[in-house]
Amino acid sequence: MSEKYAVLPCNGLDKCAGQVAREIAQIVCENTENELICPVFYRVSDARYDKIAKENPLLVIDGCATRCASKLAGEKGLKIFRKMTVTEEAQKRGAPLAVAPLRLGAAELALGAELAAELVKEEAADASVDSGVVYPVPEEYIIHKKDKFIFRVPPEGFYFTENDCWVQPVGNRARIGITDFMQQSLSDIMFVTPPTVGATIDQFDEAGTLESGKAVFELVSPVSGKITAVNTPVLNAPELINENPYEQGWIAEIELTNFAEEQEFLLDAAGYLKVLKKKADEYHAGKKQG
Amino acid sequence: MSEDTFMGVPRNTIDWKPTIDYEKCNYCMECFDFCPHKVFKKQEDDPIKLIVENPLNCVVFCRACSKTCGLDALEFPNKVEVTKKIKETRSGVASGE
Repeated sequence: MSEKYAVLPCNGLDKCAGQVAREIAQIVCENTENELICPVFYRVSDARYDKIAKENPLLVIDGCATRCASKLAGEKGLKIFRKMTVTEEAQKRGAPLAVAPLRLGAAELALGAELAAELVKEEAADASVDSGVVYPVPEEYIIHKKDKFIFRVPPEGFYFTENDCWVQPVGNRARIGITDFMQQSLSDIMFVTPPTVGATIDQFDEAGTLESGKAVFELVSPVSGKITAVNTPVLNAPELINENPYEQGWIAEIELTNFAEEQEFLLDAAGYLKVLKKKADEYHAGKKQG
Repeated sequence: MSEDTFMGVPRNTIDWKPTIDYEKCNYCMECFDFCPHKVFKKQEDDPIKLIVENPLNCVVFCRACSKTCGLDALEFPNKVEVTKKIKETRSGVASGE
């Protein structure tokens, strides 16, 4: 671990994954200079942990997809710098915890120790390679207003999916990201899990996730190809996506493999604008947007 | 609320919806509260208190409700296969059968 973190775990006494999250946090804090935040105490008392939480990058350890620790961070207005979800890690290792007992047995303790060791270990060097491609910045945006909301759509150079993601191709490379509408639907983005550099993905595959206090959103890649870079600044400053999701808020760069054919399944600005208008109307007709 | 088409093919030819695993679901209703598209329906007086009422309202490729589920009780179809099917339907190779 290259820097000191404030560690905010799930305290989950009612699920095995929560117990493992708590175990991991304790091991991590015993073996580093990191400071532990008790989520139960923090909930009722800002004073005890606010300084620690605001002066150090935050490591959140969620037990399960209920994301109590992440949501608590959201309520407290904190950005998450690093994050682990125990159930996801258990699944990756082929040992799901859904029906595991509350009292940690040898297998669960071993999983906790392994995941804690992973967090303590230095992060691997960033494998992103600067392609040197220059992505034109939109000179202006098409604006769609709905009540107090203003949704921007770049008029050209971008293609969209009906899942509110975009691609900006330049030669055989492209950037991908989420649209202004999705950014506003999520509200303050707290954490970005980027796709893996070097990974090959199909069109409409997941290319990372974005989390806000409201929801977790899967970026649905508009194109297939190989991930060549991720936008490192947004990992530490996800608010860049909220500020402008088409420019400094891009998520990843991809080497295109089949754009000519895939373009057929994408929308241009005019096509996406229609989808956006319909969604904005539905948003206002209903109570919220997912 | 339901989309009539998705990627230019009729929505009702696309098999994309959540499936509730009743072995795992504890009726916490997080997914119901989350989904703005009224895909789920509560059944207060029924032993099965939650069902997928409007599968065609489900936004194709959206799996956001499953991310609210702490018990991992919501499953979705395989994205790659669904994409393949949509492309086939679109190119007329398969006619939505």
